[in-house]
Amino acid sequence: MNLELILEPFQYAFMVRAFVGVGLIAVVAAVIGTFVVLKGLAFMGDAIAHTAFTGIALGLLLGIGIHLSALFFALLTALGVVLLTRVSNVRNDTALAILFTGVFALGIVLLSTNPGFVGDLNSLLLGSVLAMQSREIALIGGFALLLLAVLVLFFSRFVLVSFDPIGAEAAGFPVVAFQSLLLALIAVAIVISIQAVGVVLVVALLITPPATAGLLTKGLKLQMVLAAAFGLASSVLGLYISYFWGAPPGATVVLVATLFFAVVLVVQRLRRGSRLAC
Amino acid sequence: MTVLQSGFALEVRNLIAGYQDQVVLEGVSWQVPRGSLAAIIGPNGGGKSTLLKTAVGLLKPFSYDTLTLLGQSPKLGRKRTAYLPQREEVDWDFPITVLEVVLQGRLVRKGWRGRLCREDYAASRRALELFGLAGLEASQIGALSGGQRQRVFLARAVVQEADLILLDEPAAGLDAQTQHELADLFVDLCRQGKTIIAATHDLDCLTECFDQVLALNRRVLAAGEPSQVLTEAILEELFARHFPKVGAGGEVMVHES
Repeated sequence: MNLELILEPFQYAFMVRAFVGVGLIAVVAAVIGTFVVLKGLAFMGDAIAHTAFTGIALGLLLGIGIHLSALFFALLTALGVVLLTRVSNVRNDTALAILFTGVFALGIVLLSTNPGFVGDLNSLLLGSVLAMQSREIALIGGFALLLLAVLVLFFSRFVLVSFDPIGAEAAGFPVVAFQSLLLALIAVAIVISIQAVGVVLVVALLITPPATAGLLTKGLKLQMVLAAAFGLASSVLGLYISYFWGAPPGATVVLVATLFFAVVLVVQRLRRGSRLAC
Repeated sequence: MTVLQSGFALEVRNLIAGYQDQVVLEGVSWQVPRGSLAAIIGPNGGGKSTLLKTAVGLLKPFSYDTLTLLGQSPKLGRKRTAYLPQREEVDWDFPITVLEVVLQGRLVRKGWRGRLCREDYAASRRALELFGLAGLEASQIGALSGGQRQRVFLARAVVQEADLILLDEPAAGLDAQTQHELADLFVDLCRQGKTIIAATHDLDCLTECFDQVLALNRRVLAAGEPSQVLTEAILEELFARHFPKVGAGGEVMVHES
């Protein structure tokens, strides 16, 4: 392939920022998302993304920091989910779905009432990678470092409360505290990812790369490393495709991640099938 | 300073407990002396799991006169208590190795602070060796057989330095041979001064290794030594619908539908 063609996007500052920003987000989302996949929390991730959207909408309308208000709503949802699962053993997905779609609808209505924010509405739903400013990337980088630091610091404790919360709690371990902290990390990862791919697709960054990695390994740390690699590769390839085809970058990044998953799945099935045939 | 050291590993008096607004245990009293190998038997829904879970604080009791673990309040006592969940309650596909599971015994003791150190690893490897699991350290937990999985969790309890080990249906899904091996391990652990309480409906194994039995169906039908509890009359009342039979040699057969 022509080297000039490969380097072409990098002559634009906004593309360089997009590569750095989306790359950072994809890696952090993939690493944190490994826990989301293991615990089957994809639906909750979706709920957090949708309520965070309303947080952003309120932030815009009231003229306060959108990251702060998004974070507030995201954390509130995450903690609400912890409480909901503890209070009752019944399936909570119906209650959760009613709640988060209702809150999401409120956010859309709020934003639509003010014509000045229609552009924001679009970019929040589908992401606005190319509009990222250096300041935002610095903010994302800071949060990314913080998230990874907390994850490394408490890694084995997060594994404990994910693998055997019952046994751990029975022995007096602060299970609820660490489950809440883990959900808070997930909430923060979602909030910083919304800018890149938008509310609708943010769960894909969290879920697809770890799920792809999970097909290849039974080791948790390796799964995280592979997930980060798949996330990074998806964001780079996705941005290239977006640049040359003019498609929304959030969508192309998620599309590439999905293709990675499909290819790994098919290759694995074929290999397993041929092994059985022998 | 005087330390009130009760001789009981578990003591409950007039315990009323259950789920949400449904009462399962209707005033249960039971004392398990330290060093016992105790079984809770009874039909499904009779409150075996409820009793274990309430004892370690996984369920909040509605009311009680006494509830102690190892002579202390449950909050303190459970630091030296290990609870092994039912087979279905564990995610065996979780990407975690055998050694990592055993190490968690040390982690639960540390709580918020402290990293796993070399001594923790050494203790975990020793425990694995003790339970005949040497060489399986790096295996994913789900790759092990049912009996091996039980031993991994027992090794974790030992590493946790638990004095009281509670097990919910430990024999479920194990073949007869493996059940007997498990019973031998229980006896060994008791000789080391640990107390074991298992909820089970596997009565074959009971008559051989347990020295305390609680017949539980929402309330206590009988409690004490196996010879006093495992009588035909009590078993018939306990498993009314399962038609248990006591054989000539004292072995008990339960036919569950």
